[in-house]
Amino acid sequence: MTDVRTIEVEAVTKRFGAVAAVNSLSFQVAPGRVTGFLGPNGAGKTTTLRMLLGLVRPTEGRATFGGVAYADLDSPLRTVGAALEAASFHPGRSARNHLAILATASRIPRARIDATLDLVGLSEFADRRVGGYSLGMRQRLGLASALLGDPGVLVLDEPINGLDPEGIKWIRSLLRALAGEGRTVLVSSHLLSEVQQSVDDVIIIARGELVHEGTLSSLSAGDSLSVLVDAPDRAALAAALSAAGFTVTAARAGLVVVGVEAEEVGRAAFAAGVPLSTLHRQSSGLEETFLHLVGGDR
Amino acid sequence: MSTATSLSTTNRNDLSHLGIIQSEWIKLRSLRSTWWTFAILFVITVGVGIQMSSSTSFAWLDGGLSQTGMQAAGVNAVIIGTDINVLVVSVLGVLVIASEYSTGMIRSTFTTVPQRVPALLAKSLVLAIGTFLVVALAVAITIPISIGLLAGNGIDVRLDDPHYWRAMIGSICYLVLIGLMAFGIGAILRSIAGGIAVALGLVFVAPLALGLVGGSSAPQIWLQNFVALLPFNLGRALTAHPGYADFASPGVPLQRPEGLWVLEPWQGALGLVMWVVVVFTAAIVLLKRRDA
Repeated sequence: MTDVRTIEVEAVTKRFGAVAAVNSLSFQVAPGRVTGFLGPNGAGKTTTLRMLLGLVRPTEGRATFGGVAYADLDSPLRTVGAALEAASFHPGRSARNHLAILATASRIPRARIDATLDLVGLSEFADRRVGGYSLGMRQRLGLASALLGDPGVLVLDEPINGLDPEGIKWIRSLLRALAGEGRTVLVSSHLLSEVQQSVDDVIIIARGELVHEGTLSSLSAGDSLSVLVDAPDRAALAAALSAAGFTVTAARAGLVVVGVEAEEVGRAAFAAGVPLSTLHRQSSGLEETFLHLVGGDR
Repeated sequence: MSTATSLSTTNRNDLSHLGIIQSEWIKLRSLRSTWWTFAILFVITVGVGIQMSSSTSFAWLDGGLSQTGMQAAGVNAVIIGTDINVLVVSVLGVLVIASEYSTGMIRSTFTTVPQRVPALLAKSLVLAIGTFLVVALAVAITIPISIGLLAGNGIDVRLDDPHYWRAMIGSICYLVLIGLMAFGIGAILRSIAGGIAVALGLVFVAPLALGLVGGSSAPQIWLQNFVALLPFNLGRALTAHPGYADFASPGVPLQRPEGLWVLEPWQGALGLVMWVVVVFTAAIVLLKRRDA
């Protein structure tokens, strides 16, 4: 690993004609952590990552690695490893040749090719043409391309997409290990649940704009709290809770009280002498908070 | 990376021109389509050259062919396949660059070489060298066979004729330059189908169509002169032997309309180089500007 840098996106806008795919987006990605870059399809994730990698020119703003634009890096592949969602290789070439092309241009020792193929579990298929690879194998090759230069920063676009359960488990521990070594790791996904177990921080965008930036736990802080409560005599319970000043909504499984802890609900029922059959705290879940944030809650 | 070979940390500016050229060479040689195309180039050059050499005869001509006519016949027999091979190198030139766009490989190329232009130039260089070597080898093999076959038909080609060799080298350079022009077109259009259509349109269809329109009557001389500046006709000029008239219509001098340009070989070469420069300039300007 050569040098570790912070990813800095500063007021970046990209317009395609009249459409702003990304609109004045700013965020930072810190080293030593796995950061999830989340948003529904079409939110502008891939466009942002492409701007970061110098493939797409921002209309306004700049995206850098510790203040240096990708195109100005002295050793791009040793500084930033990128795996883009869409295939970035020729199907007629073998994985080994693909990596040899990248290594030769960047003066990365040939030994790294075998080491990286081994790391992503492609050694056995290294001399087969990529055209015959499964989606999971292509993801692994993308990851191998990213890791080839042993970079301090990793930018991975939907790396979990297409992997089998075993592969998902493997990549999660790999991401953790990479961040554990002090690298900056940015992983995009359109599903929070997909990366929930491996990310420390989240950056959520929707319609090209930032909607949330913070730690994963900051996401659950905004969680709306509710309590599900029921009693054999539901009418008596409803009256008691209303009298205690709670807002009660009827649900199929009982009554839902919003914005309070279960303890308070239990105490009110006890004071009114209504025996309960159900009392539990409901969490709306990260995924729902996420969907709510990106405006896709259904 | 705990499991990995560690890298030296002192390297700055890892991207060298030599490294990028070597990388592009791996790209070229690691695709089957390259070898197929090179094989076709080789087979056409040798095969058509042998066929032409064995079937060229002027035994019917009273008094036989002049020596300069025989030299032109010798040139013609070896390089006749060039007219077909311009099609092959046009396709190869477009394919080499446009396939990167159609497959997505271009993203890997640009993340590896973010300045982009060095990668484009390195790619065109390995294409040019590869094409040159394959065609040169094919021509070198065809020449002795051709001379033997022509001698059997009573045509004695003398090898101390500088025009003979100039036409040979000219035909090799012609194919390299057409390949480069097609490469530039592919880089501009970023599409295999579109690139091949435009390259073949420019090389084959344009001279044919405009030639038909131009005819040979005097008022359209300007049009014929314009047609002379198209790649195909510049290639004809580059590969021409001064004895061509004697060979093409022995005993009957060719009539050329007044005001029609007859380009010297060096003018043909210069014209082709200009085509390549113009197309490359446009390709480089667009390459820097466009999103990938």
